[in-house]
Amino acid sequence: MWKTILRRFLVMIPQLILLSVMVFVLAKMMPGDPFTGLITPQTDPAHIAQLRAQAGLNDPWWTQYFRWVANLFQGDMGQSYAFKRPVTGLIGDRAVNTFWLSLVTLIVAYTVAIPLGVIAGRFEDSMRDKVIQVYTFVLLAVPSFVFLLFALLLFGYVLEWFPTSGYVSLEADPGTFGYFLSRIQHILLPAITAGLLSTSGTIQYLRAGVIDNTNEDFVRTARSKGVPERVVFSKHILRNSLLPIAAFMGNSITGLLGGSIFVETIFSYQGMGQLFISSIGTRDYSVITALTLLFGFLTLLGNLLSDIIMSIVDPRIRVE
Amino acid sequence: MKKKSAFGYVTLTAALSILLVACGGKSDTSKNTSSTTTKSVSFATAYKSDKAAIKGGTMKIGVAIDQPFKGVFSEQYYDDAYDADFMGPAAESLFSTDSEFKFTNDGAASIKFDNDAKTATIKIKDNVKWSDGQPVTAKDYEFAYEQVANKDSDTSRLTGALLNLEGLEEYNAGKSDKISGLEMPDGENGKTVVLHFKEMKPGFTQSGNGYFLESAAPYHYLKDVAFKDMVKSDKIRKHPLFFGPFAISKIVAGQSVEFTPNKYYYKGVAKLDKITMEVVSTSTAAAALKNHKYDTVLKMPTTTYDNWKKVPGYVNLGKEELYYSYMGFKLGKFDKKKNINVMDKNAKMNNKSLRQAMAYALNEDEVNNKFYAGGLRTTANTLIPPIFGKFHSNAKGYTLNLDKANKLLDKAGYKKGKDGYRTDPDGKKLTINFAAMSGSEAAEAIAQNNIQQWKKIGLRVQLTSGRLLDFNNFYDKVQNDTKDVDVFTGAWGVSSEPSPADLYSAAAPYNFSRFVSDENTKLLDDIDSEASLDEAHRVEAFKKWQDYALDQAYVVPLQYSMTVSPVNKRVKNYNVSYGSEGTQWQDIQLTADSPATK
Repeated sequence: MWKTILRRFLVMIPQLILLSVMVFVLAKMMPGDPFTGLITPQTDPAHIAQLRAQAGLNDPWWTQYFRWVANLFQGDMGQSYAFKRPVTGLIGDRAVNTFWLSLVTLIVAYTVAIPLGVIAGRFEDSMRDKVIQVYTFVLLAVPSFVFLLFALLLFGYVLEWFPTSGYVSLEADPGTFGYFLSRIQHILLPAITAGLLSTSGTIQYLRAGVIDNTNEDFVRTARSKGVPERVVFSKHILRNSLLPIAAFMGNSITGLLGGSIFVETIFSYQGMGQLFISSIGTRDYSVITALTLLFGFLTLLGNLLSDIIMSIVDPRIRVE
Repeated sequence: MKKKSAFGYVTLTAALSILLVACGGKSDTSKNTSSTTTKSVSFATAYKSDKAAIKGGTMKIGVAIDQPFKGVFSEQYYDDAYDADFMGPAAESLFSTDSEFKFTNDGAASIKFDNDAKTATIKIKDNVKWSDGQPVTAKDYEFAYEQVANKDSDTSRLTGALLNLEGLEEYNAGKSDKISGLEMPDGENGKTVVLHFKEMKPGFTQSGNGYFLESAAPYHYLKDVAFKDMVKSDKIRKHPLFFGPFAISKIVAGQSVEFTPNKYYYKGVAKLDKITMEVVSTSTAAAALKNHKYDTVLKMPTTTYDNWKKVPGYVNLGKEELYYSYMGFKLGKFDKKKNINVMDKNAKMNNKSLRQAMAYALNEDEVNNKFYAGGLRTTANTLIPPIFGKFHSNAKGYTLNLDKANKLLDKAGYKKGKDGYRTDPDGKKLTINFAAMSGSEAAEAIAQNNIQQWKKIGLRVQLTSGRLLDFNNFYDKVQNDTKDVDVFTGAWGVSSEPSPADLYSAAAPYNFSRFVSDENTKLLDDIDSEASLDEAHRVEAFKKWQDYALDQAYVVPLQYSMTVSPVNKRVKNYNVSYGSEGTQWQDIQLTADSPATK
């Protein structure tokens, strides 16, 4: 087991190097650069050219790449051109926000999806199942931004149950309990809506799993042996049905840092999704490369985690 | 400080539009500058409330943007127009101006010019103090220059115009520790600064001229911070210091700012207890208004104007923006080695009749009515927007006239073939490449509309790359004079000093059409010449150039734009005018505890 994990980690190294080269080159190939956005009649092109040269953007890409790698090993991911501050601090701030929002979203998603999926599967074709099916199809069909906007208008503006923008209120002082409460308050609405939006897939997987497993031979065997229905369900059916969900678990965990452009834009919540999109728009190379590398690393790590989780819950596929 | 949010209005996605902004001093939207003769739709610039004001109170301001603000709270360092909004009530320019952006000397400092001695003398008023109680001194002004020009400083603010100050170039190159042309006759703690210029310019009396700084920086507060770390430092990011009517008392990074009165403000302590300003997404800004969440929302999306133009409890205040959009024709290349624009005699668009015909074929009035609700965009007649008062010419400009367009083309030898399209005068197939930017929902429709209009006069026009170009891609092509661009539509946010030299002179890299002629150079030079130190002469010079540019049609003005802010009726003394007539934050009061709902 440990050997496998170690091996997987070693394989990650060339993958990441390849990824970083590709990202770096592709980023540089985009038209424009961080200084394109600065043109106004009042800025001096000569000065902009000077800034460009100072930033080393005139060097060939491999020179820039190796300079970037050298800095990376010293823990320096460079400066954001747009924000004029170090990339590490910038990503750090956003990552914290995104992490908490995604965590609550994930918790909401699973607490809603798992029971619903189980009920739908266990009582196939019943009224309950049909209601749940309609719910999942509606959520799948509604564009996410429409759903998010609607929730914000209803619960934020009409009912005023939740704050409508930001990640913390201006009045709260950092370090106090009130600050903590305020942050939770700001997370709840986006997390609940985004959580609900992501339930459809899980419900469907789980429902299908439960239905399939109910008809499996081992279930029939268990029943014929006289195992109580409760035990049959929890031990034989449910556990097996959760496998596909577990398979996604690893990526869900590392995906916590990915962020969502829709949620973040509509709720004016500062997170990684927006940072990524805006850095591409502003050709903020240092941020683009840092984030892509981070996301790439997390995806690889997520796959590994998934495999580990799977091997724990499903002894059949344990690898050595 | 009035270089204004330049391309903020270029129709880009909200995320992108932020890039395109002000790279000059702070936006005047909030504070300085002049009332204007609105020629388009008229909006009131102020709402008069007769109700008695309550004591103190908190004014809530929303700023409609779809991403966090950058948070560079320094007039010398910020690049993003939204940062200017978020420091508006605190950051004040040293100089006040009148309705047409002319200095009036009743602000924090006065400025006097001596054309013979080639100097400007700046005197800071004695009672002007930073919000920590320290006086604003001559050194603070010099320090602002050091921030802009120090070679370690991370700022895009240093321009060729600023280098007109003696010794600034040497300081920037690191050849000297002091700026020799900046003299402090009463010492660093004095209140007087004398600037020595290489050349006196007619634009000097106009704010936003770019030849000297109009802001100061707190030296006593920032002196321990190295220039290379300045823009990153907490003293700019988290606890910035200003001398304006309000002080920034709290910042939630990227999201909101709280202002409390500057106890030492030289015009008297502000009457409000607090101002809060926060980011609100453009998709919900209208809902926020309808919910009376804010007293005003800055940068309300104009494309959704119909949605929010009649919210009970609010009045819409508006003014013309320092902005115009244009259509440019590629006529040559920029020689990067010699730093000069070079016309190409054989360029496809190098035919005045063809350019004029294309301008006459456009239906701008219709476009404006259809895509910009409520008259927020109007058809432009010249390259100097009407906000510049006497400098703006009343020349007729180009309006839809297909007959005239056809006649021009016929006369110039562009003959119609069997397929209905014209050939060039040599009888060869003529296909014109049109570069247009993506962004707003209307961008695609407008581009297609233009192509259809040109088709009506027999011109085959196609989009460069076959689609709209994103902002970066567009300017990459236009700046580098790529072959696939013959005509392009863009926009400029202009400084409050109207000289067009930066955009159209032979040496200007931003002269994207690359048009050069002796006449053009002569007329442009005249605008900024010594003779134009006499204003009457300058006004005349401006008119002559506008007429010439219209006739040559190398750049055709398309639209002027209005900016509209909904303001709640409980707010007293709010005024969106430019100049001293505009909002004086210290005078703002509220007439009720919560925003008016009808």
